[in-house]
Amino acid sequence: MREKDTLIGKSILRADAWDKVTGSAKYVADIQTKDMKFGLVLRSTEHHALIREINTVAAKQIPGVTAVITMDDVQGSKYYGPINPDRPILAHDKVRFVGEPVAIIVAETLAAAGAARDAIQVTYETLEPVFDPIQALGPGAPPIHPDGNLLAHFEIEEGDLEKGFEEADLIVEQTFTVPRIYPGYLEPEASLAEWHQDEHLTVWVSSQKPFNDREHISHVLGLPTEKVQVKVATIGGAFGGKEDSNLAILAALAAWKTRCTVKLVNTREESLLAHPKRHPAILTYKAGVKKDGTLTAMKVSSHMDTGAYGSYGIAVSQLHTETLTGPYRVPNVRLDTYLVYTNSPISGAMRGFGAPQSNFGSEGMMDILAAKLGMDPIAFRQKNIWRSGDRNVTRALVNQPESLQKSLDLVKEEIKRLKQIPPAPGMRSGVGFALSVQTMGLGHRVPDDSTNRLEWQPDGKILVRIGAPDLGQGLNTVAAQMTAEALGLPIHQVEVAELDSFVSPDGGVTCASRMTYSVGNSLLMASQKAIAALVDAAAELLRVDHVNIQYENGQLLRLDQPGLDPIPAAEITSRVAEAGKTLTGEATFSFPYGPGTPEHLPLGMPHVKFCMGAQVARVEVDPRLGIVKVQEIVAIHDLGRVINRVNVEGQIEGGVVMGVGFAVTEEMSLKADRHWVNNLTEYLLPTSMDAPPVIKSVLLEYPEESGPFGVKGIGEIPLVPTPAAIVSAVENAVGVRVTSAPIKREDLLAKIG
Amino acid sequence: MKSIQVNFMVNGKNHQIVTAPNRTLLSVLREDLKLTGTKEGCGVGECGACAVIMNGEPVNSCLVLVGQANGSTITTIEGLSKNGQPHPLQKAFVEHGAVQCGFCTPGMIIASKALLDKNPDPSDEQIREALAGNICRCTGYTKIVEAVQAAAEESNHA
Repeated sequence: MREKDTLIGKSILRADAWDKVTGSAKYVADIQTKDMKFGLVLRSTEHHALIREINTVAAKQIPGVTAVITMDDVQGSKYYGPINPDRPILAHDKVRFVGEPVAIIVAETLAAAGAARDAIQVTYETLEPVFDPIQALGPGAPPIHPDGNLLAHFEIEEGDLEKGFEEADLIVEQTFTVPRIYPGYLEPEASLAEWHQDEHLTVWVSSQKPFNDREHISHVLGLPTEKVQVKVATIGGAFGGKEDSNLAILAALAAWKTRCTVKLVNTREESLLAHPKRHPAILTYKAGVKKDGTLTAMKVSSHMDTGAYGSYGIAVSQLHTETLTGPYRVPNVRLDTYLVYTNSPISGAMRGFGAPQSNFGSEGMMDILAAKLGMDPIAFRQKNIWRSGDRNVTRALVNQPESLQKSLDLVKEEIKRLKQIPPAPGMRSGVGFALSVQTMGLGHRVPDDSTNRLEWQPDGKILVRIGAPDLGQGLNTVAAQMTAEALGLPIHQVEVAELDSFVSPDGGVTCASRMTYSVGNSLLMASQKAIAALVDAAAELLRVDHVNIQYENGQLLRLDQPGLDPIPAAEITSRVAEAGKTLTGEATFSFPYGPGTPEHLPLGMPHVKFCMGAQVARVEVDPRLGIVKVQEIVAIHDLGRVINRVNVEGQIEGGVVMGVGFAVTEEMSLKADRHWVNNLTEYLLPTSMDAPPVIKSVLLEYPEESGPFGVKGIGEIPLVPTPAAIVSAVENAVGVRVTSAPIKREDLLAKIG
Repeated sequence: MKSIQVNFMVNGKNHQIVTAPNRTLLSVLREDLKLTGTKEGCGVGECGACAVIMNGEPVNSCLVLVGQANGSTITTIEGLSKNGQPHPLQKAFVEHGAVQCGFCTPGMIIASKALLDKNPDPSDEQIREALAGNICRCTGYTKIVEAVQAAAEESNHA
């Protein structure tokens, strides 16, 4: 394809958008089948308690009730977990958080299921709960799991910490706290499982990892994986939260047990209570710095609350540890992260995966150090940012750190511009910024493959079978775009198939800012294979040597007979289809954890590719009410190469507003009455009035040589620097340095002079 | 519980429903009429995913008991296109990248239509106010506001 015709960088419209604007897109809850039964989950009302009895006799007698399922009905594995299998399929001896599943009710109608749920009698013997991760490690804290409350401790040590602090002219200590945040996808979790007479199951999921769901279901039911067909419906957002297989397992169990079709749909309350959140954390920093601004040492201790079960906590806390020092050269470090069980809701994967928490601490620290030194915060960072050839705290070589310098230069210009905007009457305005780093990929020695397949259709079109789902972010669109580019086809000749574990390759989990990069690389390889398959098939059909056939933009040229018209691909693919065959190209891209990657670190460390950027915030603060209104965010991000401009802007704008929520409105807290915030009336997802009226995306393109077309990740980083940038802007506006998110009006008012 | 009979017009078509009185308009639309374009996001009127237009006003159908809809005229997302042609808002949402996961989209378009029906030339601020009851977690709202503006312009120049 000629360069001027390239599809790369174009704002190709999403293929799925028409179905979504007309209401015809089918999410799991929209699927209705004949004879479908309704499931409900009985959940723990206790924070921490022993179960003495689960009496289901009365419930089972209610008309219309098909079954009441408890742990006694689980024939296979009784525990699961994405990393450590600590979570019971259904609680049977003990409950560890409010909302934990205890039983599943299957009935003809939701009303009957509800009545049966009310009729189940659970006798609890309450235990003392603990909600604070530091208290949970203290003497006398109630043990939540048999091995105690410390699930994991990760440490990174580099250089000589003592010497580093001796060299410092100034040492500053500061504690930061970050909140429990709800992913807040608009579609609550749902799963529909169909039992088939030939003893196999079809399970519809709204999931980031259908193949892992299949694995869990197969273990829990004691079924071979080939008996479990997992199909992905349209997904209504995920943001990491849909890496939890819970509802898919429960629906599959219910369908298997009853030999029926069962639909389970969570209410918003169930979603808030029972599905994973972003880990709340308490971070204590101690940093040493010379008078000229050079960082000499940093010691950080972070306590992350993983809630009642581990979920992805072990991986999140590692990534968190790796990013605690931000994108800076710190020669002497000691970093400790403690991952602690509490009786809080489960914490797990959420967009940023530990990096947003780190960033709030590290960027806050940079501002505080600069202020104590009397240095400009840009000049201070300038002194310490990663440069070409630098390695981070895990000794991983940093890719394209020059984007940090460029980001700082742009930050300087944007601050100047934003400072000229006057505040509304009665308001005080302020401008601040933060840098950021986010890792890409799953981490060293974790299987990190992307497998995808291209299939030539009889009409010459290409069907892309992606092995990991589009969550709504637009993966399928950029995958089609990159495939069309690689094959020289118009975009409408490329379609993406729905994901079905019976036919799609296993592409792992949609997560970790790795999709455009990994799927793209795999599709470029698959395209070459698809071309080779087509050329070989043509050679056979035309009875010529394959070296005499050349593929070009959906056509085949006869090199031995240049006078002949090009042969459209369809001419070959249709004949192949008549013979009952399909020409395909399948390829696996493995994330490059190359030679030299440190081996001594725990599984999942280090990450070796990084995404970087900066954001500038302009806020207005009402000094009488303490209200913080974010007026503009300038988001400067290096993504290597833009594939689809509108989609990238959409990712950035959505991420920024998620970061605004982190800083200003969102916290899932335990109220004075010991009930968790469990609805959207109290859990404040930002609305169109809370979102900044202006979000300006500045896209930097420093190509990553291992990426397709130079691509790096952009899925997570747009929310990472937002909270710290807002905090910095608030300080600029009213002179108050906030160290705890979200910013609370009452705290601000108490300190505003 | 005694059933009630409800008559209403949905997307230009008359319906007579006999059902339990404690059901919401949302569940009747989704389960009985199979109009699943209208979504349930929270069940308590906070997210706007279930918005429909009832007698000219946008309402959260999860907060309307089906009996309250008796005699009313209702438009859902499925009723927006005319003669196979998409509504300008539907077209603008697609073309301006205002759709990501799509779960909030039907409610957003319905709320936007209710706005444009009353105020064909809204300002940015007015659009944001009109959509303040509709939560979107994917887009950050920027492209949704742009899409509503674009649709307003197209309708005004048509």
